[in-house]
Amino acid sequence: MTKIVYVAADGTRTEIEAEDGTSVMQAAVSNDVEGIVGECGGSMACATCHVYVDDAWAGKVGERNPGEEDMLDCAASEMKPTSRLSCQIKVAPELDGLVVHMPEAQF
Amino acid sequence: MLKTLDRAPLDEIITFDQLVLDPYPIYKRLRAEAPVLRVKSVGRTFLTKAADTKRVKDDPVLFSSNDPNTPMQPAYRAHTLMRKDGPEHLAERMAMAPAYSPKTISNVWAPLYKELAEEYVGRLPRGEAVDLYADLCGPIAARILAHILGIPEATDKEMQDWSQILIDGAGNFAWRPEPFARTDLINDVIDRQVDRMAERLKAEPDSSALSFMINADNPIPMSQVYSNIKIAIGGGINEPRDALATIVYGLLTEPEQFEEVKRQENWGAVFEEGVRWVAPIQASSRLVTEDTEIRGFAIPKGDVVMTIQASANHDEELYDHPERFDVFRKKNPHQAFGSGPHHCAGAHIARRTVGQIMLPVLFDRFPSMTLPDPSVVQWRGFGFRGPINLPVVLN
Repeated sequence: MTKIVYVAADGTRTEIEAEDGTSVMQAAVSNDVEGIVGECGGSMACATCHVYVDDAWAGKVGERNPGEEDMLDCAASEMKPTSRLSCQIKVAPELDGLVVHMPEAQF
Repeated sequence: MLKTLDRAPLDEIITFDQLVLDPYPIYKRLRAEAPVLRVKSVGRTFLTKAADTKRVKDDPVLFSSNDPNTPMQPAYRAHTLMRKDGPEHLAERMAMAPAYSPKTISNVWAPLYKELAEEYVGRLPRGEAVDLYADLCGPIAARILAHILGIPEATDKEMQDWSQILIDGAGNFAWRPEPFARTDLINDVIDRQVDRMAERLKAEPDSSALSFMINADNPIPMSQVYSNIKIAIGGGINEPRDALATIVYGLLTEPEQFEEVKRQENWGAVFEEGVRWVAPIQASSRLVTEDTEIRGFAIPKGDVVMTIQASANHDEELYDHPERFDVFRKKNPHQAFGSGPHHCAGAHIARRTVGQIMLPVLFDRFPSMTLPDPSVVQWRGFGFRGPINLPVVLN
């Protein structure tokens, strides 16, 4: 299990022990974390799992996947350099303690 | 493994007419008694539980959209993106995506749509009885779509007629000649309109789907531009139209909620509940590519399963009193926009135009609207569903 910290736009922090191999989106949805919708189930087709990776973790989550940037451009909240679709970040032991910030709106 | 499993039970009683008129009691029974069921009259395996419909939509390899032999092919004169998988589907879908993105909606479409909504709502006579379905829901949905697609010269009536003809053609599983004769005629008309506009948009690009498609660095073939525009016409009017009519019905038949909603102005939640309650797109088909199993039943390769999202949205495992329109649900993880790679490309547009523009504009002008006799409202549809009349009094 790997700890993921979700920070809502209003600053509320939620810590989840996520199963390795799942996605940061799926862990949020399975644990009722408000602020991540993940309506398309992780197919990069809806941009409702948009997160800003905390600066301290930006280098560790890896690069955006092909097609991810086009979809981020369709997100409801502004795309920043740290923007990711959380369905594309796989939970793994090296991400223990990962902090992601959720945007104001997902649609 | 499959040899030891039984096929799903076969139903020979449910009729297509029953599904068109009043499917919800049937789905309620199926969720309880037979959530995986081969329905003879439809020729599909029905999946009526939320977990199953989502699992199928989220697995496009095992449950493919690809079906080259549907009546959609002759009706649209193309193998459309709706019936493709993988990179080909993605390329055609993403070619239109910039037009439908929240950024473009906020900057370009929302101001125009606000104006159009006020114009269309403003035309309605105060103090009189009108059929809101025919006089507002259909026409405004047509106008909104004509603009975002990049064919604003098409009239409301043309857009609505084309949409219905394309839908009838795509659903012509009996392969009768007449529906295809009608789609043939309008295919020519639409393609010519697209050609005319494309020429103009090459010189003066805008934020419409057509403009993004033809002006892309690496544009998709023109044949797919035509088919994308037709898919959007066939699948972009009835959903917002039916969502709007359904929501108005829901609010007018739940007066306490109606008052509270006007006070809180939580139109977003109203929209979500409306499309959960009666999903405008009720069912979708997927082709099974390998032998598999669902809920312990063998599902053989080549079978066509039907995800009934209308039923998923009423699944008792997820919702209390699912049959009731209830804006104030704590959670609403509905599947009205589907899931997986074919998740509704118009979801943002629908949420913003119907939820954030149409509803507030309509009820700001007519806050005391009434539906004198809800029993005269007729609901229709198996694949697509909504009211087909909505006689309200505007005040």
